[in-house]
Amino acid sequence: MSMTIATPLAAADKPRRRARKSRQWQGLLYIAPAIILVTIFFVIPVLFTVWMSFHNWPLLGQPSWIGLDNYIRMFSDTRFAAALSFTAYYTVIATIAIFALAFPLALFVQNERRGVSAYRTIFFLPVVVGLATASLLWVWLANVDSGLFSPILRAFGVTGRSANLLATFNNAFATIIVMVVWKIVGFTMIILLTGLQSIPSDLIEAARIDGASRWQRFRFLTLPLMRRTLALALILSVTGSVLAFDQFYIMTSGGPQNRMISVVYYIFNQSFVSFQLGYGSALSIVLLGILVALSVVQLWLLRVGDEK
Amino acid sequence: MIRKLLVATSLASLCLVSNAVAQETINMWVRTGIGTAFTSLADAYNASHENQIALTEVPFAELVQKYATAIAGGQAPDALSLDLIYTPAFAAAGQLQDLTDWAKGLDYFESLSPSHVALGTYEDKVYGLPLLVETSVLAWNKGLYEQAGLDPEKAPANWDEVEANAEAIRALGGDNYGFYFSGGSCGGCMIFTFTPLVWASGVDILSEDGQTATLDTPQMRAAVDKYRSMVEKDLVPEGSATDNGVNFLSFTNGKIGHQSLGAFAIGTLVNDYPDIDFGVTLIPGIEGGTSSFAGGDNIVVTKDTPRLAAVQEFIEFAYSPEGQKILAQNGSLPTRSDIAAQTLEGLDARLQVAVDAIGVAKTPYTLLFNDLINSANGPWATFTNAAIYGDDVDGAFATAQSEMQSIIDNAP
Repeated sequence: MSMTIATPLAAADKPRRRARKSRQWQGLLYIAPAIILVTIFFVIPVLFTVWMSFHNWPLLGQPSWIGLDNYIRMFSDTRFAAALSFTAYYTVIATIAIFALAFPLALFVQNERRGVSAYRTIFFLPVVVGLATASLLWVWLANVDSGLFSPILRAFGVTGRSANLLATFNNAFATIIVMVVWKIVGFTMIILLTGLQSIPSDLIEAARIDGASRWQRFRFLTLPLMRRTLALALILSVTGSVLAFDQFYIMTSGGPQNRMISVVYYIFNQSFVSFQLGYGSALSIVLLGILVALSVVQLWLLRVGDEK
Repeated sequence: MIRKLLVATSLASLCLVSNAVAQETINMWVRTGIGTAFTSLADAYNASHENQIALTEVPFAELVQKYATAIAGGQAPDALSLDLIYTPAFAAAGQLQDLTDWAKGLDYFESLSPSHVALGTYEDKVYGLPLLVETSVLAWNKGLYEQAGLDPEKAPANWDEVEANAEAIRALGGDNYGFYFSGGSCGGCMIFTFTPLVWASGVDILSEDGQTATLDTPQMRAAVDKYRSMVEKDLVPEGSATDNGVNFLSFTNGKIGHQSLGAFAIGTLVNDYPDIDFGVTLIPGIEGGTSSFAGGDNIVVTKDTPRLAAVQEFIEFAYSPEGQKILAQNGSLPTRSDIAAQTLEGLDARLQVAVDAIGVAKTPYTLLFNDLINSANGPWATFTNAAIYGDDVDGAFATAQSEMQSIIDNAP
């Protein structure tokens, strides 16, 4: 899922009308490629998905119009409810875990000193690995027979015999969270780092002279000034977590006893395993609505937009 | 003059036609995990025929959705070797070529594997014909039997014996385990190897008409208890709990005492693992008797393919004595009963057990097979894992029973 962040065009000052008009056309010309791309790859597919969601649309055979039935069906669909609650659980845990590690890391690599770029590179390195590739790597690491973790745990006497990390929900979930944090934390760290570095150092200096403690400087200066950065990092992290699919599909095939079916996984199953593309489309539209709502709430909570 | 011209053009067009036939490449798909029977057959065909087969192997768990999306996208192969239980679903969707007239014209049509033909027939028209036939059987490792002081020639006759022998083999220590099954989320593996335990007593997980889920039976409870007990006694490798079918052939590592597997695996073991000394017997029922899953693949042709004639030539090759022999050498049982004796002559005697299993074997029939059974997230796959490895057996039964029923009731 791509995100487009629209920046309102600066209000044109007041030259002559014609010049303004031609400049408007120029502006339109500049953003035309983006508009065309977004239209072809986002707007049209979304509209088509909406159209499909009003049909009983089998993968094979003829679609038939059923109105809102797909949306009504959702309310009594316990598996969809389970997927929603699992996704919410995963999003909360993953986001907290990522921020809990990314913030200290960003503070750690903030100041220029010896070897800091090496640290930044090391922390960022997992980000350039694809999520599917990372999942495959960790499936192997967690493999009970030929992996890495089980023999280590056994060698240190944590487990009596080789433990199958992916066999129970809690262990498998913990393994996936660790994998995701390892994979994503560098990215969040870099975003937070740009926010930290945009804070003028004389402000911090002034606060220090006024006798503010380290915690007070962080709480009343750094955090408020990083609101926009935090909002960006939070929205990216939450969106990514809500759309999680690869790791569950690859690492646990939906988890022990299907307890790790995320919403996207469920949509995939409905569409391409049960061949009910119409219902899958309806679920996708609902998910889109949920994501938009979540983003709006986050922006509002962080008061991004109203300048003080 | 005109006549000459006519002759010339018709000759030319004849040449064109035969040329076109001669150069045809048939695109075919086959699923992974069924051994080498089909690939060997295709190789032999390519070596002896002008038409060529371009074979694509598709992961077994994804074949159905890949084929369905390929049809929807107009990229479907000319023909494919399709797990026979899916033939009704695709035939019902109107995506397969009607082969009725041609098939019934084959001299040996009446002697083709009846369960395959039955599943390949939808509303009295033949859409799929038997290509690969296999049954599930129980294999035991004779080498490990000997090491554990058991009689290597005596097949276990019931599940108490399997468990007792498995304990003796596990007692050898190290990486030697008594029993194996793919218990992660492999519905296909479990329907193939585990349901025979209850089928032997005449019960099934679905009603005869496929409209009612009948999972919760005393026999199924007993079968689950037996597997649970073997897991609790540490007779099964830890990896089994997450094996989604990738390690279905674990028996080939030589450290597994018993495993239920299929005839294709017999072919693989004989050809590729000659060091493993193993025996096979019919899968015992949990309350006595024996049963088996008669599975395998039908060959189906995508509707309106331009290369129908070439595909038919290939099918006839598969049914020729030569083709049947190649298939059998790789563990696929004879599809033609009229020349079965001739086909099996001189082959590994253990294949005969798999042939005998046909007599007691069963094949489930439902349009919802993928949804209910084979999907890694379907109720059956979830149930087998939850009931055997989970803490709440009653809950596993209740959940699976209601979920299966809800899928049946919500089917379009």
